[in-house]
Amino acid sequence: MKRYLKIFFLYSKFALKTTFQTRVGTVFFLIGKIIRFLFFFLLVLLIFIKVKIIKGYTINQAIIFYLTFNIVDTITQIIFREVYRFKYSVVSGSLNLILTRPHHPFLKILIGGIDYLDIIMLVPYLALTGFYISRLPNYELGIINCLLYFLLIINGLLIATAFHIAVLAFGIITTETDNTIMIYRDLTNLTRFPLDIYQSPIREILTFIIPVGVMISFPAQALFNLLTWPKILYAFILSISLLLLSLRFWRYGLKQYQSWGG
Amino acid sequence: MITVKNLTKIYKTPVRGKNFFQDVFFRKFKEKTAVNKISFEIGENELVGFIGPNGAGKTTTLKIMAGILFPTAGEVQVFGQNPFDKNPQFLKKIAFVMGQRNQLIWELAAIDSFQLNKEIYDVSEFDFKKTVDQLSTLLSCKNLLNRPVKTLSLGERMKMELINSLLHRPSLIFFDEPTIGLDIFSQEAIREFIKKFQQKYNSTVILTSHYLEDVKRLAKRLIIINRGHILYDDSLKKVIDQYSKIKYVSVILEREVDEKKIELIGKPITNQFPKIVWEVKKDVLPERISLINKIIPYSDITIEEERIEEIIKNLFNK
Repeated sequence: MKRYLKIFFLYSKFALKTTFQTRVGTVFFLIGKIIRFLFFFLLVLLIFIKVKIIKGYTINQAIIFYLTFNIVDTITQIIFREVYRFKYSVVSGSLNLILTRPHHPFLKILIGGIDYLDIIMLVPYLALTGFYISRLPNYELGIINCLLYFLLIINGLLIATAFHIAVLAFGIITTETDNTIMIYRDLTNLTRFPLDIYQSPIREILTFIIPVGVMISFPAQALFNLLTWPKILYAFILSISLLLLSLRFWRYGLKQYQSWGG
Repeated sequence: MITVKNLTKIYKTPVRGKNFFQDVFFRKFKEKTAVNKISFEIGENELVGFIGPNGAGKTTTLKIMAGILFPTAGEVQVFGQNPFDKNPQFLKKIAFVMGQRNQLIWELAAIDSFQLNKEIYDVSEFDFKKTVDQLSTLLSCKNLLNRPVKTLSLGERMKMELINSLLHRPSLIFFDEPTIGLDIFSQEAIREFIKKFQQKYNSTVILTSHYLEDVKRLAKRLIIINRGHILYDDSLKKVIDQYSKIKYVSVILEREVDEKKIELIGKPITNQFPKIVWEVKKDVLPERISLINKIIPYSDITIEEERIEEIIKNLFNK
């Protein structure tokens, strides 16, 4: 475990070093991210100047939903940036060399390219989330709520991990990752706001079939004491099941791998 | 050390349909047998040349032995283990070096990639410094270690790649066309390096190459594969003895000779005064030499083996 952590930090260190080889590009990229965040936040605020309640949620609560989405989405993008480069690894044949290294290939292809620029962006999201949570009425806030919020965010990240492993498995079989990952991104974008804004059966689809709602909406719902215990249990069982399934799919993918680009 | 028994690998590839509709909704696949029930064993400290034409199954076999590909059928054991299990202890003992592919971090100096591999393969600081020093001296590339990989030429990158792949001193090395695309000087340097590395560290080396010079200079044992079948598996010397049917007899004439006398020996493949070259079957060689001695006035005579390239080409065409 200690060795794996050391290798992970080295991969991360070299990813950071690589990022800063092109300093001008990095600066522009960072400016772009800040502008994107500011514009979107401005849009959300402008909406909430006109609209005081969204499907029973106050502006404060709706903003927490939005910020929770950003936290989960940003952490996912920070950790799994390397998945976006996986297609190149498969097509060029460099995956072959990764598969001969004496560590699990996920250390490289799943989490081996930490995006440090997004870590910078995480800070304002976390700060704002803390601020808006502190503005919640006392009766809404409790230790259990906050703990559940935190645990369900972790749970959401586990589901995101399962999705990304499935993307890798698809990539190894078909060399196609770009469209698969965009499908994931588009689906998670649907959960920027509470799932309640969607009519049935979309709400159910996003909860039970393509469970992006579990990833992002459930933590905020738990914080507001709106999530029942069966649903909480369902969320945790779901994440473990999806993770196990994705790992199985990955192992299947490895057996199907034909090593193009050799 | 390596046992391969009845190894088979079949690839499924899509077949182009008659139209777009058929391609998308009624896709058909065809099976290509890359490796067909091959068996061999390789012992410790051997240097084996693994050759064959494009699509013969060389790289597929190497990748199965390294655990990259899953076999369709058959059994492969390397160090007593199934390579596809990807046991870390097994992977620490092997290295896979591919020509024109590298795992060095493009934007950074090669030494950074070495540091990463040092941790991945659990190499001590002492061994790391010593091995990098030794290998960079062998390859005469110490001045390149701190340069970004993207600024290096192909030959220089290959040298860095070799150091990166071998700094953990693997017991088993797969070289998949390590000299492809390199100039003759770089090829020579890589060959010398492989030879010295193998001698120094007693590694087992399996080398595939389209350049027979690599195999001639390095390998004592040759495995020839074509269309997924092993055609030959024995020493390099024996392939000449076993498969060479002809010898080339060259003479340097002292004076011009009547064409009819030349034709008595046989139809020459080269007849440019003062040099004549005949292609002579081995079983009739003594008679022809005797006849040449009687009727051809020469100042020099040479008898050469058929080139190994020709022997192997004939084997491929069988």
